[in-house]
Amino acid sequence: MSPDTLAALSIRGIAKRFGSIVAVAGISVDIKLGEICGLTGPNGSGKSTLFDCCTGLQKPSTGRVYAQGLDITGWDMHRIVREARVIRSFQKAVVFRALSVEENLVLCGQMIAFAGMASTFGVGPASRHRVRRLREQAGHLLELVGLSHMRHATAGQISFGQQKLLQFASMLMPEPRVILLDEPMAGVNPILIDRMMENINRANREQGITFVVVEHNLDAMKALCHRLLVLSRGELIADGAPDAVVRDPAVVEAYLAG
Amino acid sequence: MATMQLHEVNTHGSHIYNNPRHGLRITGFVVLVVALAAAPLVAGEYQLHALIVSMTFLLPALGLNLILGYAGMLSFAQMAFFGIGAYSSALTAMRWGTPFWLNLIIGGLAAGVVAVPLGIPALRLRRYSFVMCTLGFAVIAQTVAKNLVSVTRGDLGLSQVPRPRIALWSGGFEVTGITSYYYLALTLAVLAVVAFLALVSSAAGRYMIAIREDETLAASVGTPTWHYRMIAFALSAVFAGVGGSFYVHYFTVISPTVFDPFYANTVLVIVLGGGVGTVGGVVLGSFLFVAASEALRIAPDLRMIAYGLLLIVIVFACPEGLLPLFMRKLDGLKGRTHVA
Repeated sequence: MSPDTLAALSIRGIAKRFGSIVAVAGISVDIKLGEICGLTGPNGSGKSTLFDCCTGLQKPSTGRVYAQGLDITGWDMHRIVREARVIRSFQKAVVFRALSVEENLVLCGQMIAFAGMASTFGVGPASRHRVRRLREQAGHLLELVGLSHMRHATAGQISFGQQKLLQFASMLMPEPRVILLDEPMAGVNPILIDRMMENINRANREQGITFVVVEHNLDAMKALCHRLLVLSRGELIADGAPDAVVRDPAVVEAYLAG
Repeated sequence: MATMQLHEVNTHGSHIYNNPRHGLRITGFVVLVVALAAAPLVAGEYQLHALIVSMTFLLPALGLNLILGYAGMLSFAQMAFFGIGAYSSALTAMRWGTPFWLNLIIGGLAAGVVAVPLGIPALRLRRYSFVMCTLGFAVIAQTVAKNLVSVTRGDLGLSQVPRPRIALWSGGFEVTGITSYYYLALTLAVLAVVAFLALVSSAAGRYMIAIREDETLAASVGTPTWHYRMIAFALSAVFAGVGGSFYVHYFTVISPTVFDPFYANTVLVIVLGGGVGTVGGVVLGSFLFVAASEALRIAPDLRMIAYGLLLIVIVFACPEGLLPLFMRKLDGLKGRTHVA
């Protein structure tokens, strides 16, 4: 059960119980560096809980999580992002609604530009210079995801699909190694889905970012992912090439039963 | 649905960055400071007194604005910190004859230092539990002030607190006249507003807004949320403590009544009525609500009833506070000029 120190994420026997309810029943899997790995399964199969246990939102009941050999089990969420460079998205809380589109990105880049806590209180020329650099970086990313024209709009007032694109751009600001996306395409119109897939592919190709994507849209998953994991009732029931996995009888049965 | 979402958006605090009204805000601030600096030329002693009281309340109000408007937590402990600042500052000045600037620092630090052990358990609580905890703290602070007679002289309170002495250490001169007090209060108020603006427009201020918006989302982008909530809480206490220090050296007396809910409510009214999460709103609120409370003294029997009615009217007319209402009206006017 030793971790794979080369893996982007090495999950070893992660289980999460809430009283007598078992949400995740001991999962071990390695996410290789540079892969786009899909994670799917019926509702309540434990996908989100597994995500939560890997990113510090919940502490696993048993098991350990390693990021390139670094044991991050039980760390606070902000520390996992800062030190292991593993960042995640949420299904519902997408952006900071009161801030402008650009400020959302600046905020997400702060953990790199203002690494020490004392530096976050600076208001001098050095701080202004750092913020200016973050704004430049933000401008670049907004161009990539096609939101340049909304730079100064209030994030809460743009469409939900655009918020998801903004969320994606925000996650690239702190130069992560691993991105865990929780349903990036839910509630997004087909044109924006294509754009989202293009963005994921480009970040993976050009920056070598590893992705784990929770998603119900199986067509999108087949087109996007190198590998597909399927959970059912807290257990991993399939792991392999997307085309083969969706034909797996156990997977078909889980979906029909779920 | 789309319009529903529009109304739900809370943009408080976001005005700090890239605001098209930035020039207007700076002009407004400068005009206000110049007008206030010229006030002693026209205002009588009583009006100056009312302005001094307004500027004294501005400090705990800015503190509450930081914790409520930026970090998103409602605290009733502000006036308790104000009282702690006042008592500690008065006691050191009476015992050791410390100069005014040092008293301000002592008042601010004492409040900030007390906030940390209170914050450690309280900040783990959520929403209403946190509010109750700060309310409990205010009650305890008053009880201590009443019963620690050997230090605080109980209900008698402290009197003959030294007037502000402007000196590096010993010697110097004492501030006595109302005009000198007035300029001292104005200087302090301007410094407090500048410090507040610097804080909320820094990277730390952005983290605080992020926490108010969504704490989990803030943590997911690397914000050590607990630390920043603690910093916001302690700094809000520092603002209140400095205000308390000035208060005690102006009135030269302090008693446990400073911990009465009335004062805590006044600070809350200033922030909510003026415009939570805005700086201009809190400044406006301080002058307006303290002035209103003073002006209503002409009818002492009906004073508190009239004050209460005024609050109810404001809540109905502009639930977001006076400043946001004023700004919308201003935008409306601009819109009309465009059409014309």
